[in-house]
Amino acid sequence: MEIDKKKCVGCGNCHAVCTMGVIYLEEDGKSAINQDECVECYTCYRVCRSEGYPPWFVRALRKVLSLFRLGYLAEVDVCPTGALTPRELEWPRNIRAVFSDPTTVHPGTGVPGRGTDEIKTNDVTGRLREGDAGLVIEMGRPGIGAHFRDIEKVAMALAKLNPHFERENPVTQLMTDPTVGKMKDEILNEKVLSAIIEVKTTLERIPEFLHTLDRIQKEIDTVISLGVASKCLPDGTLPHEEWVKKEGYALSPNGKTNIGLGKPLFRGN
Amino acid sequence: MTNTLHRQGTPENLKNDYVIFAHTAKGITREGSAPKLQEFMQICLKYHPVNIGDGKQGNIYQDDINIQTLIANQGDGAGAAAVFTGLDTLQKVVEELIRADLGISINISGLLGEVQACCRRAGIERHSAEHSLGFWGAKDRLPEREVLEFNTLCGHGMVSFNLIRKMIEYVKLRRLTPKKAAKIMAKCCECGVFNPVRAEMLLEKIRKGER
Repeated sequence: MEIDKKKCVGCGNCHAVCTMGVIYLEEDGKSAINQDECVECYTCYRVCRSEGYPPWFVRALRKVLSLFRLGYLAEVDVCPTGALTPRELEWPRNIRAVFSDPTTVHPGTGVPGRGTDEIKTNDVTGRLREGDAGLVIEMGRPGIGAHFRDIEKVAMALAKLNPHFERENPVTQLMTDPTVGKMKDEILNEKVLSAIIEVKTTLERIPEFLHTLDRIQKEIDTVISLGVASKCLPDGTLPHEEWVKKEGYALSPNGKTNIGLGKPLFRGN
Repeated sequence: MTNTLHRQGTPENLKNDYVIFAHTAKGITREGSAPKLQEFMQICLKYHPVNIGDGKQGNIYQDDINIQTLIANQGDGAGAAAVFTGLDTLQKVVEELIRADLGISINISGLLGEVQACCRRAGIERHSAEHSLGFWGAKDRLPEREVLEFNTLCGHGMVSFNLIRKMIEYVKLRRLTPKKAAKIMAKCCECGVFNPVRAEMLLEKIRKGER
């Protein structure tokens, strides 16, 4: 994203909307974006609709109002002059948008957003079967963002446990070698709003993975939202619960439930 | 809508927050899913959701979105979502979806025990489920709990910490009503899983100094 200096009137509305908090006011009174930290989520562009006022008009209005010690106060979700300008993104910067802008469909997964279907379609895909556990490691969320160098640290730590990295997952697709969790060198300094490492393992190996994450979490400069999933037993109980609780980790009271209405229902195991 | 399971809150306010979403699988249920997704949305709409939308076209709080146009334009896609604030309504929606037999995957984010009970009352057993194990890593970089409650109402984290703080400030200064501030936050969340009613209630409490 860029800000058209000729149009910007420095109202500051886009500063608050920015998911990474990286839009700031320069000495010339106009806004600018810290491009190193911008994740190309386009939230500023989508949320701050253009009012289409000529910049000279807004600037003149502000000058006149300031004579009377009054301020110009635009609605909080507008850009008075339409100064926010999307730009053409090239590799590797374009992966920022793929991971950060939920309206962008990832070419590899066919899913808008950062992950795959996970358990959302487990009733028809059978991705997680009896005895399987899914770990969903969303890095950068909530609200901090993640560099691929940190994502690689976690992926490489987990790779030592020989997990099954979900093949269709966008992070897996950026690995040069999933057996060691190594990411492509040219993307290591790219930053995204969040990225999800998806791992499939067996229920009894949940503790190993949690202990590894416990260790590696101290070496990263971002946050992780962690989820654990499994297919329910016929009586509706969740087999992953006992493995997580046994290790002393707390499970949330809320979560996501696939209620099993997809057809044809996956029957194999 | 990836991580609606990480919604933060007290057990009390989580009771008023259920996201139901249809999701299709590439190569299995996605192809030809347009009429099914449209019917899913029409069923949800009948029960007055507090938010509804899809990641491709946006949600009802965004500028120039007409819900009937959005539904009519729904093509074969990944899915759609709606938010309800009560279990009784959710129960009716689930029962109607079972009757409609759309054949696409249906998921619910919310209190797991309540959702399981809802499924059982409707005569089905849940298929799979996912728990949150909370936040890990550099947690010292995270803001205060109230800000996280608003931020996690969007499954993609599109409501910035700074916007939330600004909305809280504006509500306290009475420059915006809690309803209007909640609507602005809901606008940021593309998929329509943000619960503006819960946000409004929380803002109201903050305004009165109860939080």
